[in-house]
Order: sequence, then C-alpha cells, then structure tokens
Amino acid sequence: MVLALLFFVLLFSVLYPERFLTPLNFSTILRQFITLTLFALGPSFVVVMGSLDLSYVGIWMLGGILTWLLIPAVGQWAILVFPLLGLVTGFVVGVTQVRARIPSFILTLSLLIVYWGLTATLSGGYPRPVKGYEWINRPLIPYIPTPVLWSLPLMAVAVFLIKYTKIGVHLYAIGSNEEGAKLAGINVHRHKVLTFTLSGLFTGIGSVILFQHLGGATPVELNLNNVVWPLVAIVLGGTPLVGGSGGPQRTILGALTFSVVYRGLYLSLLHPEVIQLLVGLMLIVAIVIGSRGLREVVVT
Amino acid sequence: MAPSEPNVPLLEARGISKTFNGVVRALDRVTILVRRGEIVGVVGENGAGKSTLMKILVGVYAPDEGELFYQERKIPFPRNPREAAKRGLSIVYQEKGSIPHLQVYQFLFLGHEDKYEKFMRLQTRQMKKQAEEVLREFHIDCDVEALMGDLPLSLQKMVEIARAILTVRLEAGSNHLMPIIILDEPTAPLTIEERERLFQDLLPMKSNASFIFVSHIIPEVMKFADRIYVLREGRLVGHYDLSAERITEEDLFRAIVGRGSSEYLGKPVVTEQVGGEAILSAVRLTRNGCYYEVSLDLHRGECIGLFGPAGSGKSEIIRTLGGLLSFEEGSLAIKGQLVRPEESPPDRLRRGIGYFSGETGKELFLNWPIAKNISIVNIEKVLRKVLPIIDFGAEKRLAERVVRMLRIRTPGVYVDCYSLSGGNKQKVSVGRWLERSPEILLLEDPTVGIDVGAREDIYDALLEMKRQGLAMILVSDDPKEYSILCDRVLFIRAGKIWESMSIEEFRKTMVM
Amino acid sequence: MSKKFPIRILPLTEWLRRNLTIIGPIFAVAAVVLGFQLINPFFLSYDGIITLVYAMSYFLIAACGLTFVIMTGSFDFSVVSLLKLAALLCVLYIDRVGFWVVPLALMFTTGFGLINGLLVAKFRVPSFMATLGISIVVDGIALYLSRGHLYVVNNETFRALSTTFIVGLPSIFYWAIGIWLLISFLALLTPFGRRTYALGGNPIGASLSGIDVVKQRIYVFLLSGFLAGLAGVLYMAQMGGGSISIGADMPIPLFASVVAGGTALTGGVGGPHRTLMGVIIITWIQAGLSMLAVGRDTQMIVFGLIALVMSIATMDRRRIKSVK
Repeated sequence: MVLALLFFVLLFSVLYPERFLTPLNFSTILRQFITLTLFALGPSFVVVMGSLDLSYVGIWMLGGILTWLLIPAVGQWAILVFPLLGLVTGFVVGVTQVRARIPSFILTLSLLIVYWGLTATLSGGYPRPVKGYEWINRPLIPYIPTPVLWSLPLMAVAVFLIKYTKIGVHLYAIGSNEEGAKLAGINVHRHKVLTFTLSGLFTGIGSVILFQHLGGATPVELNLNNVVWPLVAIVLGGTPLVGGSGGPQRTILGALTFSVVYRGLYLSLLHPEVIQLLVGLMLIVAIVIGSRGLREVVVT
Repeated sequence: MAPSEPNVPLLEARGISKTFNGVVRALDRVTILVRRGEIVGVVGENGAGKSTLMKILVGVYAPDEGELFYQERKIPFPRNPREAAKRGLSIVYQEKGSIPHLQVYQFLFLGHEDKYEKFMRLQTRQMKKQAEEVLREFHIDCDVEALMGDLPLSLQKMVEIARAILTVRLEAGSNHLMPIIILDEPTAPLTIEERERLFQDLLPMKSNASFIFVSHIIPEVMKFADRIYVLREGRLVGHYDLSAERITEEDLFRAIVGRGSSEYLGKPVVTEQVGGEAILSAVRLTRNGCYYEVSLDLHRGECIGLFGPAGSGKSEIIRTLGGLLSFEEGSLAIKGQLVRPEESPPDRLRRGIGYFSGETGKELFLNWPIAKNISIVNIEKVLRKVLPIIDFGAEKRLAERVVRMLRIRTPGVYVDCYSLSGGNKQKVSVGRWLERSPEILLLEDPTVGIDVGAREDIYDALLEMKRQGLAMILVSDDPKEYSILCDRVLFIRAGKIWESMSIEEFRKTMVM
Repeated sequence: MSKKFPIRILPLTEWLRRNLTIIGPIFAVAAVVLGFQLINPFFLSYDGIITLVYAMSYFLIAACGLTFVIMTGSFDFSVVSLLKLAALLCVLYIDRVGFWVVPLALMFTTGFGLINGLLVAKFRVPSFMATLGISIVVDGIALYLSRGHLYVVNNETFRALSTTFIVGLPSIFYWAIGIWLLISFLALLTPFGRRTYALGGNPIGASLSGIDVVKQRIYVFLLSGFLAGLAGVLYMAQMGGGSISIGADMPIPLFASVVAGGTALTGGVGGPHRTLMGVIIITWIQAGLSMLAVGRDTQMIVFGLIALVMSIATMDRRRIKSVK
C-alpha cells in the first residue's frame, strides 16, 4: 500500500508538476485526508475485530446540534458533548450487540438513522451555525491545516493501541477466529463493548477537531455517500472487512492514498463524473483484492 | 524439570458420573489415572463420553459424582479452565484452536500478556526471546514471527500444545508443576504424513508433560500411548497397559464397539446376487495423504462395506466416490463411462450416484416442511407435464410415499422439519435420496446418533431398494450395520485395502 | 416428549406469533388507509388513488427484483442506481435510436446485474460492498452522460407505455401487477424459485442437494438488474423527464418495503408475493405523510425505522451462530 501511495504521488507529480507540487495542493489533500481519517479511525478498530461501525456520521450530526443547544447554558464547554456522546453511543452499541446479538451492521445503521432523526427534530430542519470555535482552526504552521496538527496525537494513540498493546493482539485474535479466542481465555464480550466504546470516543474527539473545518454549522442532510467514504478509506488501506488484520495504521495510509488520488484526478480536469467512475472502479478493485482470502467463508 | 520416578501417580479422577437433563447418562463411574511423563490414551466411539470427561477435567462441566486426586491428595474439581490450568490441566481442542492471523509468539502468550506489559506497552522483544526459548525447549522448529496461518497444520498443532503447557506454567506461576495436557482428537485435520510428524515431535515432550490422548484412531493410540482406557456408552470397559500386555488392534476395536453374538449382529439377509458388469468400477484410485491404490467393483443390487477405524481413509474414499473430493491417480468408471476427477456432486447426481452423510442439519432445510425437503432433490418428479412448474399434488404424493416407506412419525407431510425428532429428521434426509432412486447410493454414517427404532426403519427401506436393484457402498462405525446391509466387506487400513471378505466371514470375525 | 405426535397443537397465541409477519402487514395497511382517509377525505378519491398508483407501480417492479436478492441472503444496493441509469438512457437517446433505447437500457442494467453476480458468487465479495461499488460506478456513468441537466421526453409513443389509461388506471399499473404476478409465480411455483429459497435458507444444504450455488446467485442478480432497468424505463415513460436526481429518495423506502413485506435479511423466507404488501404500506404512508406536509428528512427517518424494526423482527435468530 505504501508503494501504491508513492506511485500515485510520483505519477501526479510528473503529470501536473505545476499544480500538484504546490503547497496549496498539499493543503487541500491534507484537508480531505483528515476528514476521512478522523471518521474512519474509530471504526477501524471495530472492523479489525470483524464487526462494522457505521454510526460516525450520526455522532457527528447529533453532537453538532447538541452543542448548539448547550452553548447558551455552558458556553465553550459545550463542545465536550462530542466525546461524551461518542463514548456513550459506543458503549450502548457494544452492550446491545453483545446482549441482543444483533449484527453490528444493522445496529449501527439504525443508530445512524435514529441520530439523524433526533438531529432533524432538534434543529427544526435547518442547519444551525455555531460560533465560538474558530480558534480550533487558527493557522499555526503555514500550509498545514491546524486540524491536522490536532489529529496527530489522536492518530498516534490509535496506532499505539493496535500495534503495541495487548488490546491490539486480542482484537486481531477475535477478528481472526472468535471461537479460538474465546477458547484461549479471552473475554470476547468485554472486548466487543470496549472496542465499540473506543470507536465512538475516537469519532467524538475527531468531530471536535473537524467541527470548524467542516463548516461550523450543524448538518441536517444525510447523504449516504458520506457514510461510504470512510469505509472506502478502511478497505483501501488494507483492512479486510472480515477482520483479523490491518487496523488504524492501514486506514491512515488508505485515507492518504485516496486523498492523493482524488486530488490528482481532480487536477486532471476530467469531468467530475469520470472521476466518480474511476473512484468507484478503484473501490471495486480494492475490495476484490481484499476478499481474496475468503475461500471457506460463505459469502452472502 | 526432571521427573523423579516415572511411576508416581499424578492425577486420578475416581468414580466420575455425569448426567445431562436427567436423562442422558454421559458418564457412569469412570476412573482414570495419569502418571508423570506418561501418554494415556482414552478411546471410544462418538458419544462414548470422552469429551464430557475431558471437559470435566478442565472445568467446563461439573461432575455429579466423583473425586479428584492430585499426587494422591484430594482436591476440588476446577470450576473453570483458569483454575484447571492452575492445577496443571490444559486442553488442546480438535479444531478452531489456532488463530491464523496471529504471529507465533503472540499466540503463545495470548491471554497472558500482563506478564509482559509496562504502562500498557507490550515488551515484544522480551516476548519473542521467551518464545524462542520455549520453542527450543519443545524442539519445535519455526520462526516466532511467522503467522500461525502460514505454518503447516502439524506445526500449528505443536505450537498449540506448547501454548497449553505454557498456559499451565504461567497460571500456576511455577515451572515445577508437571502439566497434564489433554489432546482432543489432535490428528483429525491432519494428513497421514503430518500425523507422523506430530507424533515424532510429541514423544520427546514426555519429559516435560503428561498427555491424555483422546482419539478414536486406534493404530495411533496404540503406537504412542503407554496405557489406554476404553469408554463405551459412558462406562469404562477396558484398561490396557501396553508395556505389560500384548494387544492387537482388533482387540481394542472390539472393546470399543462391544463384543457381539449372532443375535446382536442381526438376521442374515438373503440377497440375490446380481451379476453382470460392474455398475461402478474403481481402479487404483489414489489421493496422496488419504488413500492409495484403491480398486473395487460394485454391481447392481450389491452392497459393499468399507470397514476400518477412523483415520483409515474409508471416509475419504467414499467421499471421493461421491464427488466431494477429487482423486489424483487411477480411474473411476460409472456404468462404463469414465469420470473426470474434478467432477462435483451435481455431476455425480447426473450420473446416478447419490451421497448421503449422517449429519443432518447441514443437508436439510429445517424451516421447510417435509414435502419441500424431499421435492427439492427430486424436482423433476414433481413438475407438471405442460409447464415446468411445481405440481403440489405430485409433491404431496411423493412425500407421503417416503413417509410410508420409512415410517416417519409425523401428522402430515407439511410439518416443518424443525419440530421433528432427530431420528425422523434423518429419515427425511435418507428419504430424499431414496426417492431420487439413484442407481448407486453412497452412505456415510447413515444412522449415527439415532434411536434403534428409526434405524430399523431405515434399514428396511434400504434393503427394499436393494432388492429392487439399488447398489450401495457403506461407511460406518457400527459393525451391526455392515452385517445387516452388506454383501461384502473391504477392510481398510492406512489408506489401503487389506482384505476383502464375504459377509459370512465378516460376521464370524466380529463375533467373540 | 410424546411418542405419538412430535409436535403439539398450536394455541391461538402461538399461531398469531408465528404468522405475525403475514398478519402484521395486513393490519398495517388497513390502519394506514383508514387513518389517512379520516384525516383527508380526498385520500381515496379518484385523483388520490391515481397518484398512489403512479407512485407504487415502478416501485413495485424494482422491489420485486430486490426481493429475490434478499431472499438469497444478499443485498443489492445498486437497484436504484440502475433504475436511474435506465431512465436516463431512455430520455437521452430516444431521439436518436427510437424505441431501441428500451432493449438497450435493459441490456445495460442486466449486464451490471451480471457483474454484481460475478463479484459476489465468483469473487466472493460481500454483496453489500460489491453492489455499493457498482452503484458508485453506475452513478458516475449516469452523471457523465447527463451532465447534471434536466431532460424531457418528446416521444408520445414512448410515454404511452406507462400512461395509456385502461379501465380508469394507467398502463404502468398493469405492467406492475403483471410483473408482480409473474415474479411471484416464479418464486412460488418454479424450480428456480425453490432453488432461490433453498440458497437463502441453507447455502451448504443447497449445494449438497445438488443446486449450483454460483449459477443461482448470478441468475438472481441478473434478474434484479433487469427488473431495475425495466422499472427505470417505465418510470421515464411515466414521468416524461428527469435528471441525475432521479431516485434520490428511493433507497431507504425500497429496502423498507421489502422487509416490511416479510422477506427476511437472513434469507430463505418471504418472497415477491409478500413484497406487494410492503410496497403498498410504504408508498401509501409516503403519500399520506406528504399530504400532512411532513418534511422529506423526517419521512426518511420513518422509513428507516420501519426498515430497522422489520429487519430485526423477521431475522431468523436460530441461524446466526456468531453475531458480528
């Protein structure tokens, strides 16, 4: 995957040197990169374990409207509602998944819809601008969007967790062979709850960082595509949907590659429709390659 | 870690009994003893109680009766696997024990990483070094950073065994406790060559651990165990000390299945031997690792039994004939036409061969009514003349015919299969194939686990079809079944046909 | 356990619970119709019914195809995109090739259905991912061809496909009912239908029973693609024009109508005959909500919740071993 990334960087540098290799361009790429990453980081853990977490957009929307509601009451602290919401959401999802044995795909999708509903109800259907958080975006280093800087520690923590702690090993084990992990003495239920909670927390924190970046207003439209792109980053990065390998570190790479490719195609002045097509094709190719190891699994 | 005297009793489980649901007597006052540095074999048929006994030892079940002694001192039964490990008992499961995506050192220490944690960070360098030492100690030759899934199966099993021993050491907190490792059917997923390797690697480990080797593959147990316990229907029916007595495989086999008399083996069946050409002809079929140079001829109205202990290759042979496995060398002809090795079950069906295995639930559509389960395999029989649509009347009649023939207990043919008893489900399974009236029917464990009455009904139906010309090949663990159904029996061992005998000779051999 | 009869005679509550997925929708339809009629007496007027029929017909056709896919335990996210593509192909090229656009469009959508089938059956890609990817590709093609503009159909003969009135109802209604009957027939009375149920109910058992699992899956996706295209063609004939935004509101209600009809995500149960119920419920609720001036977003939420509740209610828990 690193090779693919380098390849694309080189390709576009050669093709459009004046437009690709500018600081402004890198800025743009980085912007898209963190938007993808911060939503995909948390779910990456869940996917490693073999489940799916689609609730991130929901946390983003509902958190936004709750922040708007709470500002008159608690001022700037209102934004803390994001990590809190993420934490609670993840915990609820985890416990429900384990107790009621509902597949995570359906569960998180429905949660997404419910949160969307709540957002629409609370906001009255209109996007609500929220003031007071511009400082998150205040430029520090030229050409590097500040949110990127904020997100670095988050990404570092994610990578640390998956690669250097026993939690990471346990997650790989559960994703690889859940029954075997249980036989080996791992408390699978506890890990599932923990992972979903973690996913929600990461998304919550990520939403804080992205808040101003994405407009500083609460969205009310649910575009199914928004849900898809972070998944694309996960799959593209090399984390198979059945779990067992990959993880947030791969997702970061995947998001970066995707952003580079997308920006590069955009610069090529191809019609936006063609770009969408190519992206779709790329996704399919990535999925097919990623599904190679599924011989015995009965795929539905 | 040197054991002092090899004859020191290590673990004794006395008088273990366990009943499930107040009805099923899984174990009835069983006593086994394990000494230091021994390999103790526990053998028996499916359902004899082997795995229940093991689960009690590792704390998954609690016994209803019984006592446990460690080094001749009484101890309570472990209440969960962790406690069992603290006492030295650990188990390596038959399947699903390995975790393919983990590296060897990760797998070895899975669940015990807290010994290597510092501020949440894993000391991987230390873990790898430790892992290397462990592998060296057990003479396992592989790279600690290799992925478990990339190792050959026998090596994976060895790593699992090493992990089991490691688990005991880590839980008990010392290296002085001699672990007792239970190996539950360890060789089931392995090929013949891999099994050899496994045992060669296992023998040197006797100085580090005692083993309980649960299996129903007789030759292996005889080769590697020091003593053997035989369980049948929950009771201990035999205990052999291989260093003291001379036993043959047949002795052991008879102990497992039970000695018989002529009545036990059923009435002799008079068959009109239908001669002529062979309807199925196998010439020197070979599949490396499973069976070699298998040749046989099957005629109409004839039933041949492939007899042998588990692991002999009989299952692989019949599955190859059924199209579930392919053969590498040799040739197979059906009604005179050669069969290509890569053909699959639907192709076999087209040629007139049906394959039936005793594991229902995989085959049946449990939320469908009986009639639908039968018709899905016999679709051509229930279509209307004019259009290719389903004729419900024909479907009903077909199902009723099957129900009658096999005496299936149900108020009607539109009952969902979920609600049928095990034996009746099996009858539906067999019934679909009988109606398909292939010319050849391959049966693998057709009546495993079902009650006597249902068995009799199935045998009657099969024999009736046989009288009408159906040819059969049977693989089973029950000698009585062979005696009732077969005309000829081929003895299979280590993948080869050792002997062919008529059914009269077979019955004589099986009787005490 | 009684020796004589292996099953017990079911008490009434048990029978109700078992057949809930059939009785439920019927009650729901009755409640919906009654409710809305009370609120607005014009609901069941002639014009009102025509509106409903127009909303329901193309929807039903697409839903039939999706039903087959869900019956096998898979998803097909590309139905709406294919519908859109077929519709756009018609409006864009009818001036140049006349009526040949119809078979052309159908060929395209069926071709994509084939690709879906191959991806899932041969390449073992999880169906929701494969069809999602295809839908992105198809959307891209649609965007490219239409450049985002709005187009109008000028061909009266083409429009007559859907808008010719027979016995007071537009022809698209007859198309829809006809196709629904045909597809239900296919599901319930033919070996093909049996095989589809078998595949969804127990894929391993299906294979052991002699069914070619790979071929069956591919056929099912082919059917779905074809019907999506047909729905798109008739939709364009009905509407007379459209742009890239065709079907933007369709995915959630479409899925909801299939599960609301009683076809479970786990596969092997339900069927197109049940989907009619689901389509009626959803489209009529949709009409009613619009009449009550409920916003589009809230409508989506309602359908999403319906889809969720029905999915969980119809799921066969007995079959899921490890829940991920």
